Order: sequence, then C-alpha cells, then structure tokens
Amino acid sequence: MLKIVVPMAASILATEFVQAQTEIIGNVDSKCIIVSETPGVYGNPNPYQLTTAPTSGGVQPIIRFDVLAADYYKAVIEHPVSFSSSPTLDDVVTWTGDVEVSEVSDTDMSTYDSDKVEYDNAHEYQMTVAGSTWFKISSVADYGYNKSFPAGQYTAVVEAECIPL
Amino acid sequence: MKRLSWALVALCYLPSYSYSEEIYGTTNNAAQAGLNWVMTQVLPEYAGLEVNGLVYSYTAVKDPETDMIVWVQNEYADGSGYIFRNSDDWSGLPGNTISKSFAFPNLPATLWGPGSVEVEGEGSVEDASIIYSYRYDTCFDPQSDPSCPGYEETVEVPEIPIYDPLQDALVQEDMARKARIQEEEEERERQRRREQWALSNTLEDLLGDGNNPGLVDPVAEALALALTSRTLPTDYLYSLEGREYLEAVILDGGTIEDNVKARRSNLAQQLLHQQMVDSQYESSQQETK
Repeated sequence: MLKIVVPMAASILATEFVQAQTEIIGNVDSKCIIVSETPGVYGNPNPYQLTTAPTSGGVQPIIRFDVLAADYYKAVIEHPVSFSSSPTLDDVVTWTGDVEVSEVSDTDMSTYDSDKVEYDNAHEYQMTVAGSTWFKISSVADYGYNKSFPAGQYTAVVEAECIPL
Repeated sequence: MKRLSWALVALCYLPSYSYSEEIYGTTNNAAQAGLNWVMTQVLPEYAGLEVNGLVYSYTAVKDPETDMIVWVQNEYADGSGYIFRNSDDWSGLPGNTISKSFAFPNLPATLWGPGSVEVEGEGSVEDASIIYSYRYDTCFDPQSDPSCPGYEETVEVPEIPIYDPLQDALVQEDMARKARIQEEEEERERQRRREQWALSNTLEDLLGDGNNPGLVDPVAEALALALTSRTLPTDYLYSLEGREYLEAVILDGGTIEDNVKARRSNLAQQLLHQQMVDSQYESSQQETK
C-alpha cells in the first residue's frame, strides 16, 4: 500500500510545479524639448529674392530648446536649402542662411554660438547648460541670376533635432 | 433627476447664493520707463492682491573680456532687505539676451518694495522687460460685493430725532417759574439779612454808648470790676524793693611786668605799619607832582 502511495505522491508533486514571470516597466521621457515659438515668414524685397530679414518684411523663426539635464544632448538645427512647396521653378535657387542663439536662460549659454560646429547647412550646439535656449534662424533664397520668382506660395522648413549624446 | 435640476435652479436664485473668484493677471513691463520702478505704480490696486511670479529679460551689451554682473531685484516694502534678488554673471562672457522666470508662493503685494535692474562692472542693459504675475480674490473683502460669501447686509440705522428737553416750551415755562420763585426767595432772604444787620447795628450803637445812663448799672459795673481784679496776676499789685550791688573784687597792689616777646612783636608790627604809611605817603606825593 505504501509502495503505491509514494509513486502517486511523486506524480502529484511533478504536476504541481509552477512557473511565474513578472514585468519591469520603465518609461524614459526625453529631457530635451523643442518648441517652435515663432513661425518664420519670407519677405520679398526684390522679385528674385525671398528673405526672413525683418528689414525686408520677413520674420525670423525662433525655436526654443528646453534641456533639463546638462551635457546629455546636442542640438542640430538646419536652415532650409530647398522649398518644401512652391510653384514650379525652372532655374536654380541659391540658399544662404544662419542660426544664432537669440536668447538664453543662463549666462553660460552665451558661449554656445562661439562653440558651435557648422557643416553644410547644419549648426550643431553642445547643450552644456540646463535651461532654455532660443535659436533664431535666418534664410535667404535667390532665384537664378536676378530672375523673378513665379507668383505663388513658397514654403521652406527648418529642421531642429535634439540628439542624445 | 428633474427634481434635482429644479433644486439647483432654485438655489441659483436664492438671495444667499454666493461665489468668489480668483483672478489671475500680469502687469505691464515694469522697466518700461527705466531700470528703477515703484511697485505701487506697477501692480493694480486690488485688496488682497498677491504676487506669484516674475519673468524678466534683457540684453546685456558688453565686451566678452570684461566683467559684469546684473542684479534684478525688489526690496521689501519696509526696507529690511530684498524680497527678490537674482544675479546674472556675464564676466568673461559675450553679451546676449537672457530670459528667466520665477515662481513665488503668493507673496502679498504689500510686501513688495521698489524694484531695479542694477549693473555692476562694465557693460549696459538694454530692452529690459520685467513682468509680474499676480492673483487676487474678488471676495477678499466680503463686503465688497453682495454676492460674496460672508457678505452681511448693512443695517440702516433709522434717523431718530434728538429730543432736547431744554427746548420744550412747557419745560422752559416751568424752569422760568422755578427761577422766578427762587429769585423771589433770594430777594426775601436778602431783605431779611439787611433788616437783621440794621437791627444789630442799632443794638451795638446803644450798647457801645458809655454815657447812656440808662445802660450803666452800678451794681453790674462793680461786679465786672471785681471780676477783672480777680483775673489779673496778683504780682501786679506788689512793688519790688530796690538794692545796690557793690564791687566785691579788690586788687592788692603790685606791678605787672610787660612781656618782652610781646613787646618786640608789637614794635616790629609798629615799624612795619610806619613803613607802609610812609610808602603810601611818598607815592601820593609823587602822583601830585
């Protein structure tokens, strides 16, 4: 009788083995926020030119970077080198532009401009201070050789990225 | 549900229905007219107003090589230090536009004193913008609005005519009557005193006249004299016997020798006195010459 009971008990133990899994969930919020504060407007002082210069009726776009942790991000801002939408253009458009720090929330950010790295149309800033930094972008598009832009609406895009280091 | 909505509507129309509201707002640029400002001219005048934030921005114009510190500050209204003070150190940095914001734990407007942007070092501040955010309760003073909770209806005090009994005709007549009676009584009293005084004067005249034989009673006079003699000291009636007191001390001859030392001293003083007199005489003689 005992001999029967033991194997049975063993079989019961074998069937009662359980396994459990639990999850660990973590959310990572970016410590860098990009806000488009002021949309840009092209002025048309000459038939062949579109510019954001305020003296020519344009408005310079302003982008704000809010960095919550210093030394963990770099900001890359590219001024436009093409229209995202425009009438059909049959000539070359020459693009020039610039990005500069227009406002800071900490005096140490005032060295950002002198420390930035430029390549192509990109301007790369090391975000070494926590706080808000405002970047002002200028853009000029010259059409052909003093050739008039066709009538219509022109749109160009400024790209801003906050890249974790 | 329908009954509940009716109850809510009725509640809204009840006279005791009340509410208060918190209003939030921001000031104009405090540094519009300069880098110094007075808070009473910046904040609106609402009872119970509290400052809960500040946003400032300015452009620092400077040489990157120079040192410069910019202070944005507000003193306490009672002058006991600063209620808010923040510095931006631009030393060795290029100038730029800076923008900062601060939150305060609802500090009463009465605490806020004069504000200023102060530059320490070389450089200047341009386009300064100082904007305060505030809040206030529309019912901070419940009596400001009948819709405020805690509002109490003002009780109108009826105008009660003041009764001055002294102005009453009957009272005045009665007072005049009493005054008249009192005056009459006083006049009678004065008359009585005059008569009494005249009578007593007459009696004095009569009694003071010693030649009036009708008033001299020999018996009474003798009695008065006897009484007088009895009251005077008896010594007045006796005479003292005179005597002569003769010299009792007699010197018994002999001579008293002069004291030699005293004599010498006397002579010396005499000589000194003579010299002084001679000197005065000579000086007077010289003056007359």
